[in-house]
Amino acid sequence: MKSLRITIDGKSYDVDIEILDEAGQAASLPTTSASRSVRAAASQPVAAAKPAPKPAPTGADGAVISPLSGTIVSIDVQVGQAVTQGEKLITLEAMKMHTVVSAPQDGTVSAIHVQAGSSVDEGQPLMALS
Amino acid sequence: MSIDPKLLEELQNKRAVANAAGGADKLEKRKAKGQLSARERLEQLFEPGTFQEFGMHARHTCQRFGLQDKELPYDGVVCGTGFVNGRAVAAYSQDFTVGGGALGRIHAKKICDLMDYAHDIGIPVIGVNDSGGARIQEGVDSLSGYGQVFFKNVYLSGVVPQVAIIAGPCAGGAAYSPALADFIIMTEKNANMFICGPDVIKAATGESASLDQFASAAAHASIAGNIHLIAEDDAGAMALASELLSFLPSNNISDPPHDLDHNLNLAPDPRMNELVPATSKEAMDVHEVIKLLADDAHFFEIMPDFAPNIVVGFARISGVVVGIVANQPIVKAGTLDIDSSDKGARFIRTCNIYNVPLLSLVDVPGFMPGLAQEQGGIIRHGAKMLFAYAASTVPKITLIMRKAYGGAYLAMCSADMGADAVFAWPTAEIAVMGAEGAVKVLFRKELKAAEDPAAKAKELSEEYREEFASPYQAAANAMITDVIEPSETRARIALALRMTLSKRDTRPPKKHGNIPL
Repeated sequence: MKSLRITIDGKSYDVDIEILDEAGQAASLPTTSASRSVRAAASQPVAAAKPAPKPAPTGADGAVISPLSGTIVSIDVQVGQAVTQGEKLITLEAMKMHTVVSAPQDGTVSAIHVQAGSSVDEGQPLMALS
Repeated sequence: MSIDPKLLEELQNKRAVANAAGGADKLEKRKAKGQLSARERLEQLFEPGTFQEFGMHARHTCQRFGLQDKELPYDGVVCGTGFVNGRAVAAYSQDFTVGGGALGRIHAKKICDLMDYAHDIGIPVIGVNDSGGARIQEGVDSLSGYGQVFFKNVYLSGVVPQVAIIAGPCAGGAAYSPALADFIIMTEKNANMFICGPDVIKAATGESASLDQFASAAAHASIAGNIHLIAEDDAGAMALASELLSFLPSNNISDPPHDLDHNLNLAPDPRMNELVPATSKEAMDVHEVIKLLADDAHFFEIMPDFAPNIVVGFARISGVVVGIVANQPIVKAGTLDIDSSDKGARFIRTCNIYNVPLLSLVDVPGFMPGLAQEQGGIIRHGAKMLFAYAASTVPKITLIMRKAYGGAYLAMCSADMGADAVFAWPTAEIAVMGAEGAVKVLFRKELKAAEDPAAKAKELSEEYREEFASPYQAAANAMITDVIEPSETRARIALALRMTLSKRDTRPPKKHGNIPL
C-alpha cells in the first residue's frame, strides 16, 4: 500500500494505492514526510530495549510449571518424545481462554504429571523435560 | 588591545582539569568495562555542540576528614542543557571517577539548581545515576542533599518529564530519586539498584541473596517492576531516553510531538480480519494487533517484562502520539491482576499528565481469581485502573476486541469511565459475567430440577452466550459508538484520534484525588 497526497485545484486528497505485487510488504513502507525534526529523529533506528532474561519456567530438574490455575484441555506430546523450544506441550483452559504451555527449552519429555481434564494450580509441575 | 593571555590560559587549564575527570587511569578502567565517562554519556545524549555545562567550576566546601585538601572537579556531577531531537533537555550525570560520584552539599545543589531551571523553562530532566552514595565526610549535609533532590523530584513531577538512568551503583536512599521519576532506564551490566545490600540482608534476616536476584536490571524489570526499560549499554540507555522523549511533550502544558502532517490513512486493512481467531477461546497475541495499528508498525513498549498480561507503550497512529494499554490474552488469559493493574494505572496517569491520548485494546476475561490475589489486595490495586481512567482528561478511545467481562470491562475504560469513542468488533463479548457462571445464578432452580443438570447447564449457557456474549446488547443500550469490522480498526481509530485532539475536560478544583495506593 502506498499513500499519496494529490492536490487538484488547491484541494488535497489523500489516496492509498495498493500495488498488487507488493501487497506483502505494504506494512513496512514509511508514510511520513519527515518534515518535522522530531518525527525524523524518532524514525531513525535506535538501540532497542533489551528484554530481561525470562525467569526460568523450568526448575533445575526440568519441570514445566503451570503458568496459571486452570483445567487441562489437551496434552499434545507423549513421554519419550523429543521437543524443541517453543513447541506446544499442553493446552489448558482458564478464564474462558485457552493458554498454550510451550517447551521452555529443547529436550525429551521424561514424565507427564497431569491428564486431560485435571485441575491444576499456578506453579504446579505439569511435566518434566530432560 | 587584546585579552590578557594569562587569563585565557587559566581558563583553559581549569577546563583541562575538569575534562580529566577523576584521572586517566580511572577512565581507562571504566572503558575496559564497556562504560562511557560521565561527560561522554551526555555527549551521547545531546546533539553535537549543543551541550551547555552548568557549574563546571563548582567545588565542595568540606573542611573535614582530609577532604579539605582534595580536588573534586565539578563536585562529581556534570550538569547542563542541550538539544535532543531538536528540543531542549536538561541533564545531569554523576561521575563515579570523581570521589566515587558521592553526593555532597554542592553536588546536590547543582542537581537541584538544574531541576529548578528545567521547571522554569519547562523542559525534561534526564538524570544519570552512577554514585557510591552519600559523601560520608559531609555528614548530615549530604543526607539533606538527598532530601532536597527528592523534594525537587516531587515538585517537578507532573510538570516536566523526568527520566532516570541507572548506569552504575545506586544504593540505599539514593534509589529513591529515580523511583520518584516518570521513567527508569537501567543498563544491563555494570548497574545495581537496591535499598539494602546482600550483607545487610544477611545480617538482618539471615537470608542469603545475591545482587543478581534483586538488584540487577533483569530483576528490577521482571520481578520487582521498579524499572521501565533495560539498555544494552550506556549508549543504548541514552538512545532509549531520547526515543522516549520523542513521544512526550516538553512539559505538562504542551502537546506531545504529534506529526499532524502525516497523512490520515483511512484505508481498510484486511490483515486485521485475518488476525482474529475463529473461536473465542483461542488466544491472540495483542502485539500483532498493535503492529497493524501503529505507524511503521513501530511500538515503543514500556515495562515489557513486568506483568506481561497487560501491554503498555507509545506509538503514533496516522501521526498522532498515543499511549496504548492492551490486555494480552496469551499471558494469564489476559486477566487483570495486582501487578498488571499497578503497571496499567501508572502508565495511564503518565499519559494523562503529558496530554498523550489513550487507546485501550480490550480482551479481558475478568480479574484474576485466587486467594493470593484477594489477600494481596486486588481490590485496592484493581481500583487503580478505574481511578486512573476515570480521572484522565485526555482523549480516551476504547476498542473492545473480544472479551470484556464484569468489573474488568469497566476497568479497561468503558464508556462509563469517560471514553470518548468505544469501538467493538463483532467478536466482542460484553457481559456482566461469563455464560457458565451466569447460568448457575440465573437458573439455579431449573438446574436443580433438571434430569441431567450438566446437559441443561450446557444448553442454557449456549443460549445465554448467544444472546449476551456479543457487542449488540451493549450497543443497543448506546454504550458503543460503533460496531466495526476488524479491517476498519486502524481507520476508525486514526479518525477518532484526530477528532478528539481538541478535547477539553476540566474537573472541580482540588488538591488531588485520592488514588488507592
